[in-house]
Amino acid sequence: MEILRAKGLTKKFGNLTALSNLDLEIPRGRIIGLLGPNGSGKSTFIKLATGLLVPTSGEITIAGATPGIETKAMVSYLPERTYLNDWMRAEDMIAFFGDFYEDFNRLKADNMLRDLNINPGDRLKTMSKGTKEKVQLILVMSRDAELYLLDEPIAGVDPAARDYILNTIITNYKENASVIISTHLIADIEQVLDDIIFISQGEIKLLSTVDDIREKHNKSVDGLFREVFKC
Amino acid sequence: MEWIIDSDRPIYKQLVEQIELRIISGMYAPGDKIKSVRELAMEAGVNPNTMQKALAELERMGLVFAQRTSGRFITEDNKMIEEAKNTLAIKEIDSFFEKMKQLGFEKEEIISLIEKAEGDRNGNSKS
Amino acid sequence: MLGKLLKYEIKATGRIFLPIYLALLALTIITKVLLMIAMPDVFLDSTSGTSFDIPLGISVTLYFIIIVALSVMTLIVIVQRFYKNLLTDEGYLMFTIPVETWKLIMSKLIVGLMWTFVCVFTVALSILILALGNFSIMEMNQGISMLYAEFQNQFGMSPNILIAEFIILMIVETVASVLMIYVSIAIGQLFSQHRIMAAFGAYIVISIVLQIVMTLLIALIPAFGLEYLMNSQINQMKAVEVFINGITVFNIISAVAFYFITNYILKNRLNLE
Repeated sequence: MEILRAKGLTKKFGNLTALSNLDLEIPRGRIIGLLGPNGSGKSTFIKLATGLLVPTSGEITIAGATPGIETKAMVSYLPERTYLNDWMRAEDMIAFFGDFYEDFNRLKADNMLRDLNINPGDRLKTMSKGTKEKVQLILVMSRDAELYLLDEPIAGVDPAARDYILNTIITNYKENASVIISTHLIADIEQVLDDIIFISQGEIKLLSTVDDIREKHNKSVDGLFREVFKC
Repeated sequence: MEWIIDSDRPIYKQLVEQIELRIISGMYAPGDKIKSVRELAMEAGVNPNTMQKALAELERMGLVFAQRTSGRFITEDNKMIEEAKNTLAIKEIDSFFEKMKQLGFEKEEIISLIEKAEGDRNGNSKS
Repeated sequence: MLGKLLKYEIKATGRIFLPIYLALLALTIITKVLLMIAMPDVFLDSTSGTSFDIPLGISVTLYFIIIVALSVMTLIVIVQRFYKNLLTDEGYLMFTIPVETWKLIMSKLIVGLMWTFVCVFTVALSILILALGNFSIMEMNQGISMLYAEFQNQFGMSPNILIAEFIILMIVETVASVLMIYVSIAIGQLFSQHRIMAAFGAYIVISIVLQIVMTLLIALIPAFGLEYLMNSQINQMKAVEVFINGITVFNIISAVAFYFITNYILKNRLNLE
């Protein structure tokens, strides 16, 4: 069964339609890029999948279930925002994740902290914004989730960290899990993607595998994106 | 040898070419076990499914064979590798001739130019 | 999961309160010691102008400041834990852990109430410690039993029930007040801008509505046929009892309404910035 399915998914904020009648099925074992300019509805879609937002109409299901505590247990979400409490230490956050997520893999988290030279005893208050983002990513990627929703994971980090993140996504790959990465920096992540979803003004403009785009258009996804969303 | 994914062509095709090159050059020796898809994908920084597709294509071409339990290996059929080497050589020569023709050279001129250039190089290296 | 939420809630709030309570403890002890030195006998009017007057003055002042600070901090923490932890960036984490929304609200409410009662209890205890030795326990006991006897005599009932009902009212009222803050903040976040202002607005509007409903209910008292209670002296206390319990019920109803509205908004109308 597919890991995520949306049917007629619509979300309005007052008069503004953020997502309009979206139909989508995402199978397991894929790494998917959710691409689109700012304000196109990428974050709204991801928030609907996490259950942070409730659809205006239509439905979205994760492994067949509407978002709720059951789906939250299998979805690992990296928001754009930093949600870490400043007064906590990295190890406090690890304990928190371990307490609330059964699929949290502590060993993985410790290894990643070591790889990125982050001291678990450091207070988050003393960390730079980039380091905090790394801690958050480590927490999210240390779960053995079935669906990873990464909202702009590489926007703020340096190239070395970006490579580490992409490597983590590849190493972490599982046949039964899918990863959705929303970004506008396509060139950086294109080669780790199976499929891409172009989204603009709340509608899906294109849904394809990366290699199909390259075959058909003789262009990288990045090249095509620049052409389609010329501004 | 570095993995280079750059052009606008499908990624799996570029992976096939680069692995083929590694086999022909002997970097991957006949009978060698190939790393797991995940390891290769990480090395190249590409999606594991794409690497899987590339290896499947190499299998289809006969340069790689899979053993159900122990993984994938480079073919031990030297003739096959030789063939692939020749095919690649001819492809390179073809594209070379194509470019030279665009510059306005005829076949005979090209060959004599090659011999001259080759002679100069040998001469230089001797001195 | 509620247990784990409570654990983190206590951890997050405890680190704020711990220093204040330690300061209160220290000041209680210091003031007490100074009191004992400066006024060894409270029944002597003149303190004979000892050199301890100034430190005692400072200590007493600080003592009252810390008590006020503690009360204010308790209120601030109740507001801030709900608003900041659930409805700002931290909400992105809290609302994506596999925990029902009502448990999030409950964990904030329970720990908020816990600190309120700890605050009341500690301050009472501290004042008792200061007062101890300055009056005789026996005299106090006598005074209280006299009051009891008088009450019994006048109204024909023990004040115990009334006191118990009043304490219940206080507890219910506290719960309702906290939930009213929560529902106001929840309503505030429905707005796309000026959410804190909107929360204040919601709070004021709810207060006014409650006032109006209360006034209407009181105006309707004759309709309930309760005025006969006022007529005899014995029944006067009955009227007071009905009044106290009436407010208790009213608070319970509003608290339940606040809770369900808060839960509904956070579950279905959540819109984190």
